[in-house]
Amino acid sequence: MLRFILIILFAPLVSGFITRLKNNLRLRRGPSIFQPYYNLAKYFRKDEVVSQETSWIFRITPYLVFTATASAVFFTTSPGSLITLIFLFSFARFFLVLAGLDAASSFGGMGSSREMFISSFIEPVLFLSVAALWLSTNSMIASALAATALFLAALAETSRIPVDNQETHLELTMVHEAMLLEYSGRSLAILELAAQVKQLIFLMIIAGLIFNNLALLPVIAVLVALVELSLAKMRLFRVVDYIAFAGVLAVFSVVMSIVGAII
Amino acid sequence: MELLLLLGILALAYAMVSAKRMSALIAGFKFQSGLLFVLTGLEGLYVVAAIVLLLKVILIPFFLFRILKQIKVDEQVGFVVNPMLSLLAGLFLTYLSFIFARNLFSGGELGLIIALAVSFAVMGMGAFIMIFRLKALTQIIGLLVIENGIFLLASTLTGGLPLIVEMAVFLDVFVSVIILGIFVYRINALFTGIDVDQLKGLRG
Amino acid sequence: MGWFLFDPLSLFFIVLILLISFPAFIYSLGYLKGHHTRFKNILTQLAMAAFVLSMILVVSVRQVFVFLIMWELMSLLSYFLILSDKDSPKSVEAGTIYLVMTHAGTAFLIMAFFLMYKVTGSFDFLVIKQALAGLPGHTKDMLFILLLIGFGTKAGIVPLHIWLPYAHPAAPSHISCLMSGVMIKTAIYGLLRFVFFMLGINALWWGGLVLGLAVVTCLVGVIYALIEQDIKTLLAYSSVENIGIILLGVGASMFLVKAGLPVLAVLALSAALYHLINHAVFKGLLFLGAGSIYRATGTRNIEKLGGLIKTMPWTALFFLIGAMAISALPPLNGFVSEWLTLVALFGGVLGLSSGFLKLFFCFCAAALALTGGLAAACFVKAFGIACLAKPRSQQAAAAKEVHWTMNFGAGFLALLTIALGLGAVWVFKLLAKIAGYTTGLDASAMNFSPGLFTLQPVGNISLSPVWLALLLLVIMGVVFILLNLVLGRSKVTTVPTWDCGYYKLTARNEYTATGFSKPFRLVLSFFLLPYQRSEKIKESFYHVKSFVYETNTKQVFNEYLYAPLVNFTFNLGRLAKNIQQGSVHIYLSYIFVALFLLLIFMGRF
Repeated sequence: MLRFILIILFAPLVSGFITRLKNNLRLRRGPSIFQPYYNLAKYFRKDEVVSQETSWIFRITPYLVFTATASAVFFTTSPGSLITLIFLFSFARFFLVLAGLDAASSFGGMGSSREMFISSFIEPVLFLSVAALWLSTNSMIASALAATALFLAALAETSRIPVDNQETHLELTMVHEAMLLEYSGRSLAILELAAQVKQLIFLMIIAGLIFNNLALLPVIAVLVALVELSLAKMRLFRVVDYIAFAGVLAVFSVVMSIVGAII
Repeated sequence: MELLLLLGILALAYAMVSAKRMSALIAGFKFQSGLLFVLTGLEGLYVVAAIVLLLKVILIPFFLFRILKQIKVDEQVGFVVNPMLSLLAGLFLTYLSFIFARNLFSGGELGLIIALAVSFAVMGMGAFIMIFRLKALTQIIGLLVIENGIFLLASTLTGGLPLIVEMAVFLDVFVSVIILGIFVYRINALFTGIDVDQLKGLRG
Repeated sequence: MGWFLFDPLSLFFIVLILLISFPAFIYSLGYLKGHHTRFKNILTQLAMAAFVLSMILVVSVRQVFVFLIMWELMSLLSYFLILSDKDSPKSVEAGTIYLVMTHAGTAFLIMAFFLMYKVTGSFDFLVIKQALAGLPGHTKDMLFILLLIGFGTKAGIVPLHIWLPYAHPAAPSHISCLMSGVMIKTAIYGLLRFVFFMLGINALWWGGLVLGLAVVTCLVGVIYALIEQDIKTLLAYSSVENIGIILLGVGASMFLVKAGLPVLAVLALSAALYHLINHAVFKGLLFLGAGSIYRATGTRNIEKLGGLIKTMPWTALFFLIGAMAISALPPLNGFVSEWLTLVALFGGVLGLSSGFLKLFFCFCAAALALTGGLAAACFVKAFGIACLAKPRSQQAAAAKEVHWTMNFGAGFLALLTIALGLGAVWVFKLLAKIAGYTTGLDASAMNFSPGLFTLQPVGNISLSPVWLALLLLVIMGVVFILLNLVLGRSKVTTVPTWDCGYYKLTARNEYTATGFSKPFRLVLSFFLLPYQRSEKIKESFYHVKSFVYETNTKQVFNEYLYAPLVNFTFNLGRLAKNIQQGSVHIYLSYIFVALFLLLIFMGRF
């Protein structure tokens, strides 16, 4: 329970940390690491503006998304429960995509389409990595491969470069942001918080379950920042190759863990 | 006596197979039925004989001649195979039926075998007439000749079929002839001629 | 001579049939009202009742011959019911394809049954079961293949599935619900009864073959569903996919039975049975919803729908619940059964000894995950484009909520969806017993649920749908209350959608269904083989007056497998037609030649 509250409280901090680090590495000052908190506070204070084309699904989605993502915190303890976690994320994504379509705007539809496209192919990668983790945790190579595959999948799921750009303001390049385009005020705050919690959960899984050392979390966050800096966002159809690469890594991790179990 | 009658029936069958005109065909049928009548009478089946006389000797030939007059066609029997060849075919059929009859009744008396052979031959020649003649009327006659052969078989071999069956068969034959006659009339009206080969277009 | 066999397996199916027929019947009262004459409506209802009865008899008879008769009756009645909504030549075409395919399958079944009779000398199920035990392996293999093809045609295994996307959309919606929800499951019953119960699993490759076919079926079904714009055809392809998922469980169970892992085998079969009943419920729900949409708007093309959530709130809500269930969202029933199937496959990975087999099961699990993701994409598209945003046509804008009986039927199934999800533990206990009975293994000692509310199938993986649902509700409630307490009620202003400065956004600015699935069409083009045609109509060299763009995908199985077969058969027929010369004389000579030859052959000459 305490874990739950701590994760929700610290999620924006991780996000702020990554942003600050990226900017510092670009030799700029960048915003304070508490900037996400200030943003959330600002959103909470503002009124909401809702499109007249939307329905009750649009209004209820932020709560559903946040609930599903937050509930996922309870399922990060052992590799077996990760399966339920993946399904909970899929629940969140389902409603977010519906909300993107609900506003009758082309941008939302585009974001929804791309999000479903990317995530459909990421799911097997996630499941295979979870399978590798679950099968055996004492094979070094398997853990390393699974960690890499999960890292690549996490980049895709949390909309980081090279799959999606969180800092873009061009609607045609958005995937996750496009679905949030029509949101404002409180709902936007909840959705942003949910995205940050999801990011933190992924980092925690990689650090905690694979390497069994939560202190590695900042290291992985640094890695995310470095990857974001050094690569460019891929074209949507090149993302398939990226996912295929992650998939191959996941398959190898499963093979290695099987072989490791026999040896 | 019966042997003579059987031979007469066979000879008439040859005559029908090589006949060149339709009236000859119908006349041949009439005489053959007449001989059949006498034969059946000799066998002791009087009622059936009387029916044979009534139907096959009097009514049906009369009906066929009437049609012939009504449709006013060329009296030529349309030949697919010429008379000489038809006669040879008839002889060949007779030979085959003799062999068949002999194999069937390997240990029987000669009279029975001959009767069997003649009836098979008559049936075969009736079929020949149906297949190898072009006009519709000849096909009716071919059918009637086949029926004659069957009737011959029934009355000589088994002493006649049950009366009811005979009645039914006769009724069948009579009605078929009437219907076929009507058809011939219609075909003539539609195609100005009764050449059955013109019906070739009626296929799927 | 016993006529009926009411063992756990058949009772399960009877319950399933009745469970789905009841809402379908209520639904049909509203659906058929006013669209045909009263006489025709009564006739259709009678036919439907007979159809349901025939299905009940199929799953409960004990004699092979009666089974076959009931099977045929079921197929024929469904054929007539498909044609009852004869509004276009497409229905007739659909009916023809269905009839041909189902009879082809029945032909294989007849072959199998005759073989069975020949080797056992009896038509009774239980007697056959005893007698089949001592038979040589290759007879059993032959029987298995024949039964698989025969039942596979009815179930919709790829490549025998082509009738499904034609037949299910053409039928009236309550019949589609019954066909998709129940009839194709009777084929699974056939497989379970004849292969598991009577034949007994003879070889490892049986399970492997079924698993392989199941993976292909899953993926092909969901890929075709993704690019489909007709809502009922989409649902039909999705049924193909779900049959694949059920067969994943069945195949895994077959494999594990022979591999000597009884606990996992019972688990896999129970997961398959669970998905079977879940699919019946939520696919029935979706078809009823699609039927309501069709009644209200007159079109099945989702490109012409939209905004239905505002004009038909109840229908849209029930459709949403169905879509959520089929996309395996917690805590509904689809989630529980897909979770269980995944865990069963992972359990197989853990329990099997050969590395290659472990990898194979892992691959099947990954395929299941992929289809789950693609299915979610498919139904997001279906629900999102059909029900949300602005209406894309006049008909959609003019839609009104349907007759209450139709919503009652859908609502019943929606409640059942939720109940089957929350009550997973108790349902699973029952299913484990049924699975144990079917496979002939003793399942009384297997305990898959330690507590009252938790499922713990393998190792330390556990799931409690009830607690999960409670967790979600509690968190959502807490967040909502907290926010309202701390910040007060939010002030909401309603404005038009952001339009980049072009005022007056119309429905043409919305995303289309084709556009939504275009990334999938491009990535999977090696399988879908899309082709496009564009045409510019120009007024002058520089001025394009209009532009025609047409894109379509090839139906791979139709074009490359069935069309050549059909052409070959027709060519054979054309050759045979030459016998029919049209000349009376030739026909007569046929008769006499045949007689002659007969005499010779009979040795009488």
